[in-house]
Amino acid sequence: MKLSALLLVAVLPLAAAAGSIDKAKAFGNPAAPITIELFSDFQCPSCMAFHRDTLPALMHDYIVPGKVYLVYKEFPLPMHSHSREAAAYACAAARVGKYEQVADALFQNQPTWAADGKVFQTVSTALTPAEQKKVLALSKDPSVLNEVQEDMQEGEADRVNGTPTMVIIRGAKRYPVSGMNYSLLRTLLDSLAK
Amino acid sequence: MAPRTTVFQIVLLVLRLGLGAVFGFAAWSKLRDPWMLFANSVDQYHLLPQWAVVLVARTLPWFELLLAVLLVTGIGKRITTVASSALLALFFALMVRSYARGEGIDCGCFGPGEAISPVTLLRDGSLLAVSLLLAGAAFVGKRRRQTARIRNLALPHVAEPQP
Repeated sequence: MKLSALLLVAVLPLAAAAGSIDKAKAFGNPAAPITIELFSDFQCPSCMAFHRDTLPALMHDYIVPGKVYLVYKEFPLPMHSHSREAAAYACAAARVGKYEQVADALFQNQPTWAADGKVFQTVSTALTPAEQKKVLALSKDPSVLNEVQEDMQEGEADRVNGTPTMVIIRGAKRYPVSGMNYSLLRTLLDSLAK
Repeated sequence: MAPRTTVFQIVLLVLRLGLGAVFGFAAWSKLRDPWMLFANSVDQYHLLPQWAVVLVARTLPWFELLLAVLLVTGIGKRITTVASSALLALFFALMVRSYARGEGIDCGCFGPGEAISPVTLLRDGSLLAVSLLLAGAAFVGKRRRQTARIRNLALPHVAEPQP
């Protein structure tokens, strides 16, 4: 009885912490020793480069092997006219289990929709017709818009001042990192994992 | 004249201790985190090859700590203040260059998460001014002491009148 009570006390904070993470926007092993919260803006060219060049290596070396748990966070910058709309579509797509596909489509076609403003046209390429309807409706849902706002507030609390920024979390320590080359990032993650 | 000199000496002492505290805080804020975070800040300036970035990231915080100790204790004031002025001038020049280019990078002054801005430039510029003042005062003080010593040696010894 005592043991089970102790276990419950130990597990409850973990469960509470896990509850604050939107699983549809997270990848890897939730029990990994390191969590990375990736704050990005779909209209930011550096985020597109990160998504194309660094993220696949990070996925291969750390997230798929279960060493790092990756959580996407929206941080649409005010200077980008369509990024908040894109973030809302991505969060809506997360609710139909298509966050990654929509994020890929948005980054791959960033120059096009950033120029013509036809964001949903790009989003729809990653969705079935039924999903398109759902995502379009959800993107106007106050809870989805609120989710984007909450992500931004979390970023501001973590001193995120540009994108892409990774907040690397190990235990109680949170390290905001932006623009780090992959070689240094590997050294950092390996040292934190020890 | 004497009270004014004393006030100036007190101001210099406060400034020296303050500058030492700033260097101490800068060193501590870098040493408490993994060195790769400061290495990233150094790398953002795009000036050094990777091996030099690592070298700077691993040694500069210790140098800042040494400067902090020397400034607070007042050991080797001239060398210490010249070194701190040179370091701050280098930081200031790099920050101005990066800000003028609109790179939007972290200054790396007190750990990550502080972008270069007019505030950080004003702060670094003020620290540089203080350091230059301390260096100037250290050299002038040394010269005054030397002049006084030479004068004392040149003066003929006058015998004290016997009662």
